[in-house]
Amino acid sequence: GTAHPTAARPQAAKAGAPQQSVAANYVGEETCLTCHEGQAYKGTAHALKSNAKTPAAMHGCESCHGGGKDHVEGGGDKAKIVNPKTLDASAASDTCTSCHNRSAHALWDGSQHDQRKVGCLSCHSVHSSKGEKQLNATNEAQICASCHKNITNKQHRFNHMPVREDKLQCSSCHNVHGSTNVKLLKAGTTVDESCTSCHQEKRGPYLWEHAPVADSCTTCHDPHGSNNDRMLVAKQPYLCQRCHVTSRHPPTVYEGFVLKNSTNANKIFGKACVSCHQQIHGSNAPSGKAFLR
Amino acid sequence: QGQPQQQQQNVPPQAPVTAPVAPELGLVDLGVRATSTTGDKARYERYSDLKDGAVSQILFGKKTETFSFAARAYNVGYRDQSYVADYNSGRIKVIGLFDSTPLNYFYQAATPWVQAGTSPTATFTLDPSARLAVQSKTPGIVGIPTSAAQLNTPSIYRGLATQFEMQQLRTVGGGGLTYNATPDMNIHLTFASTKKSGTMPWAGAFAFNNANELPLPLDNRSNDVSVGAEWATQKGMVRVGWTGSWFDNKIHDLVWDNPIRATDFSNGLAITNPPCQSGVAMGPYDCSGYSNGNGPAQGRMSMPPDSSMNVVSATGLYKMPAHTSVNATLSFSSMKQNDALIPWTINPVIASPTVYSVFHDLAHLERNTAKAEVRGVNALVNFNSRPNRWVSLNMRYRYNNHDNRTPAFEAVEYVRFDAVPEETGGETEAFDITRKTLDVNATFNIAPYTALRLGYGNDSFDRTGRSFSDMTDDIFRVSIDTMRSQYVTLRGIYTHTIRKGSGFSEDTIVHGGGQPNLRFYDEADSKRNRGTVLVILTPMSGVDLTTSFAKGEDVYNGEGHEFGLLSNDNSSINVGLNIAPKETVAFGVNFGRDKFQSMQKSRNANPLPDVQFNDPARDWTLDNDETVNSFDIYLDLSRAIKNTDISLNYDFSDSDNAFIHGGSRISSLIAAGTFLALPDVTNKWRRVSADVKYFFQPKVGIGLGWWYEKLDVSDFNTIDLTPGTPRIDYLGEISTGYGNRPYKGNTGFVRLLYRF
Repeated sequence: GTAHPTAARPQAAKAGAPQQSVAANYVGEETCLTCHEGQAYKGTAHALKSNAKTPAAMHGCESCHGGGKDHVEGGGDKAKIVNPKTLDASAASDTCTSCHNRSAHALWDGSQHDQRKVGCLSCHSVHSSKGEKQLNATNEAQICASCHKNITNKQHRFNHMPVREDKLQCSSCHNVHGSTNVKLLKAGTTVDESCTSCHQEKRGPYLWEHAPVADSCTTCHDPHGSNNDRMLVAKQPYLCQRCHVTSRHPPTVYEGFVLKNSTNANKIFGKACVSCHQQIHGSNAPSGKAFLR
Repeated sequence: QGQPQQQQQNVPPQAPVTAPVAPELGLVDLGVRATSTTGDKARYERYSDLKDGAVSQILFGKKTETFSFAARAYNVGYRDQSYVADYNSGRIKVIGLFDSTPLNYFYQAATPWVQAGTSPTATFTLDPSARLAVQSKTPGIVGIPTSAAQLNTPSIYRGLATQFEMQQLRTVGGGGLTYNATPDMNIHLTFASTKKSGTMPWAGAFAFNNANELPLPLDNRSNDVSVGAEWATQKGMVRVGWTGSWFDNKIHDLVWDNPIRATDFSNGLAITNPPCQSGVAMGPYDCSGYSNGNGPAQGRMSMPPDSSMNVVSATGLYKMPAHTSVNATLSFSSMKQNDALIPWTINPVIASPTVYSVFHDLAHLERNTAKAEVRGVNALVNFNSRPNRWVSLNMRYRYNNHDNRTPAFEAVEYVRFDAVPEETGGETEAFDITRKTLDVNATFNIAPYTALRLGYGNDSFDRTGRSFSDMTDDIFRVSIDTMRSQYVTLRGIYTHTIRKGSGFSEDTIVHGGGQPNLRFYDEADSKRNRGTVLVILTPMSGVDLTTSFAKGEDVYNGEGHEFGLLSNDNSSINVGLNIAPKETVAFGVNFGRDKFQSMQKSRNANPLPDVQFNDPARDWTLDNDETVNSFDIYLDLSRAIKNTDISLNYDFSDSDNAFIHGGSRISSLIAAGTFLALPDVTNKWRRVSADVKYFFQPKVGIGLGWWYEKLDVSDFNTIDLTPGTPRIDYLGEISTGYGNRPYKGNTGFVRLLYRF
């Protein structure tokens, strides 16, 4: 069977350790390149010898593929070398996380993608990447779209984050390698904390808070894009009317006749409900009970 | 060998954008561009700056075995400019950036208000003689239109309005440092300072019939710092860190003139106790001022307050034999805000001893600053094990506590719209949330490269201030992922969630004036079904056909749930084909259709004791259906033609959003001739981009680019005098004219390229 990469993986070399100290079944990178010239990783972050954790500073190709002696002596027998691309996704990812086991990658094990057999090589390529971070595509949205097309399509909606303008990307909000937050969100520990890491003006805490706002921004907003103003999940005033079934003006039927004939039209056009309840995210005014001030 | 290879999609190249991510390091791309636009130019530019002039992209980098360096500059000198530089010596990694992102609202915005002050109070004034003419009800003068007939007479403010470009700018400067103290020990430092400036649409209302929109000036800055130390070996990792964030808003409050009042309303009568008794004349204020507009000359409102947040956290990872690991995180956070509070009202008619004699609490504030604070605790433990080749286990427990410690603020007596003091307020509520999540998943490798996962989750919420004090989601999921054949990848997941609330308090709903049978959809008992299937066929190398289908439904079926959102369904289908017959050629096409359908129910009624409140004949429903189509196609030729790179893209998205009212109340409105169905809200957006580069020398070339974008939109929320000419005076409001309007834009580029 195929050798397991972690079984073959060398111990990390100490900084500055000479290449000659490797175990006996390593043949060295130059030997590998005699047949696999096109598979070099020069010019990538892995080639930075001055970083003691890179393959270049350890055992070159064999840092990931395991010792190549049997493979070489077997005349290039593919069964005698580790090829992460042919491994189960989790096993292949083990190879990567033996070094990428900190910072953004620390919580990879058991993360949503790991559980679904989406491995490192599903998105990254060590030898033939097309974009930054060794991605298989020229940008993140393309990678994410290969599975999440219904989400990435939303960047083309009428109201959107500046993703299609390349001012934000999926990883601006998500850490696809695992996170302490829900939905693989990168910042904070709740949806709100993630959103207010950029929208600090809505962080509060306020004197008067709006309960669903305190719970989750996504109760009202779709951050991936929407055909409603301000990326709301539904159009105002109807979104507000989903909860505000009270008396007097909140549950009024806001329809075309009102729009053409009544001052209540100001609850349909423009900012609709927010034309008065501007402080809907929270108010710091003593008279801010209904978020009017 | 017939073994499948892990899926690596052919992914489409993105359309040329303002600041593309390019791995190429050694490029000077300089040229000129010209833009022509019809319609809503700001919407065309939205987050970019496309005015005529220079266009630039400069990429420089060097990579050796001992260091790497890269510096990039995009759109130098423009509002969407961006600069990034990074250096990595292996021991030290440094990154610095400056990025500027505009948000263009509307270039034909207009307002009759004049900004007279900015910091700490943004002040907007209106022409005093116009206000007096409106207040005096001078014949022929319309301030804010109040009837269909008045719409035929221009508001006096229309003639006073001046046009301006409403746009804001977000600039971020920051950097990061990672120092590898030893091969196992890293120290991280990041810093970002974000400034927001410009203007944004902001509402300032005085009454139901007097809602307005102003260009609120923005002048705030956020500074964010994080420091962390990390120690990692093959066996595990430990990290400790601190994050601090400070938000500083130079604008503390907003004061603006009332367009229909030049003076604070006062009828000169004495106040009664209790006030506002039916049939009893009293003053000095109008008890219906919030409704009829007899209110103050000015309003005052608070702005987003200065705030801070500090988080300390620790994370650990330990790897054990048999592919078993445990990782855990613990963090403590504190958010504080202690801005000075503005007074109950700016209206001197109400802020007077006369009114204080009845509304004693309005004579002072219970406290002068907010004293708002939230503390948080977040803990996460993940246990993962793959003891053998057939099974893996994942258990995840997450605890999150949002402990709002803001002292209650007594506001039973308050002032509505700066117009009317009332006793209908209450105490402020501090919403506490404790969320505990247990998630257990077992994955069975039922065949090579095929995983079947069974999972269960229990998500419980303990909260204050909501109608359900507790809420629990029981989540059942099954998924299958197979890449067994190199020709087929199949991913499917089905999730069934049962949400059940407890500790229901009808008083919480009724106290807020709600119908007793209202349930809030973000906490109501419900059943949720979600399913997704993704199939990728790869019949040959370089060709893949991807199909995905997703369907979801939320059914709110809890006991007593009659009003509010009743159902919310969605479906999505996408079909895509990508072909890359050789390294230099890539072609792809994708079509998607999303459908959303929701049903909500309400009752249009006066409060008790009016019989309307319990009258089913006042019930109405809204069926909101939206269909969205997405389509994109691309062709990328990279040196398929000698010395030439060609990239062509077409993106399309449209939407049809229907609002279908029903129910007894609607029938009676129709019978009375006072119902008009709303037209569908529709939009159709398409973008064409073409980029051609021809290198007539190995290092020197020319580039030609063209972007075309067109939006058709029809939305009843946007009021125009004639199509495309915004109307700022409409029923019950003076606005800035900001809305949803069509545009068509063309931008052409000619550039000189130099590679090195």
